[in-house]
Amino acid sequence: MDDPVPHPTPALTERTAASDAALAARLACGEPGALDPLYRRHKGSVYRFALMWSGSAAVAADVTQDVFVHLLTRATDYDAARGPLSPWLLGIARNFVRRRTGTREVAEFDDADLAPPHDAATPESALLARIELEALRRAIAALPPHYRDVLVLVELAERSYAEVAAICGLELNTVRSRLFRARALLARWLALDAEVPGARSSAA
Amino acid sequence: MDSRHTPPPAERLDDRLAALKLELAAFEPPPSTDRAIAVATERASRKRSRRALAPRFLERWFAWPVALAASIGLVAVAVRQMPADEIVSAPTAAASIASARFMPVVPVAEIERSSDAYVVPARVPRMALAQFGLPVNPARAGEAIDTELLIRPDGAVLALRFVN
Repeated sequence: MDDPVPHPTPALTERTAASDAALAARLACGEPGALDPLYRRHKGSVYRFALMWSGSAAVAADVTQDVFVHLLTRATDYDAARGPLSPWLLGIARNFVRRRTGTREVAEFDDADLAPPHDAATPESALLARIELEALRRAIAALPPHYRDVLVLVELAERSYAEVAAICGLELNTVRSRLFRARALLARWLALDAEVPGARSSAA
Repeated sequence: MDSRHTPPPAERLDDRLAALKLELAAFEPPPSTDRAIAVATERASRKRSRRALAPRFLERWFAWPVALAASIGLVAVAVRQMPADEIVSAPTAAASIASARFMPVVPVAEIERSSDAYVVPARVPRMALAQFGLPVNPARAGEAIDTELLIRPDGAVLALRFVN
């Protein structure tokens, strides 16, 4: 059976991965200055993953800080032989964001945090795009966490199935099936314009 | 319903996900997070510097008792091999002639490293020699004996020799 979605291209090149490993090794040897290039390189992906998972810019900022402080103090935990640094960081981010959001099954979006400027031809189309994206965010937030993990990592963080399997500790087939189900749920909710279960009302 | 104008749900989902991904690309951590990481890095650097100094301090801490114990042993062996009267004899004021060789009171390697050491004359109470395991005539324990000390600029005694 074909994959439900095209297999995304891994975001890291071999060269970057090697360089990450070298920097992580320097960090593990007690050279804190090696954190700066790693932070600049990976802060965006970690932050965006946490933001999409939690729906809160404040939580995403805290998680990003937690992840890189963890890297600073526990760089020896990273084993370059087991894979690139980026999925390892996202795995840590996943743990921290779950911990910070506690047992909440549904993320609560902070509308003020997630309202970037939108380039649209007309105010009407801008409003429509805004509403559609808002609906998508709320639908993602309403996904069960194990579906949300896979969907955010594959669809928004552009991680390969293999990377997601490593990050979430899953079999490759489980990643595929969870992604398929997550997408099916989203498609159903969005196509039918149904009330997303558990989502907070956007009307204020 | 006209299917040409209404794309299937999966396609609509892909479009919306692509739009969301595009929107997300603009998001970066706030400057406060950048600052927090910079502070954590700086703190780790300072901690590392302090840790780097600690072993040297400990080395000094342990080196001195070990050196003292070793030197006491060396002095004891050297002096026991000397004739007894050489040690207990009174100093001759008229002729200060240095006795054979310096006896190290610290490891020889440390003396070799101390290129700026110098020799100073000193009168040492005979009782003090007992601390080094040297035989002391009780009848003359109150007297002092002339020595020359090899010392470092910081005052640490590296070796001594008796002056007849």
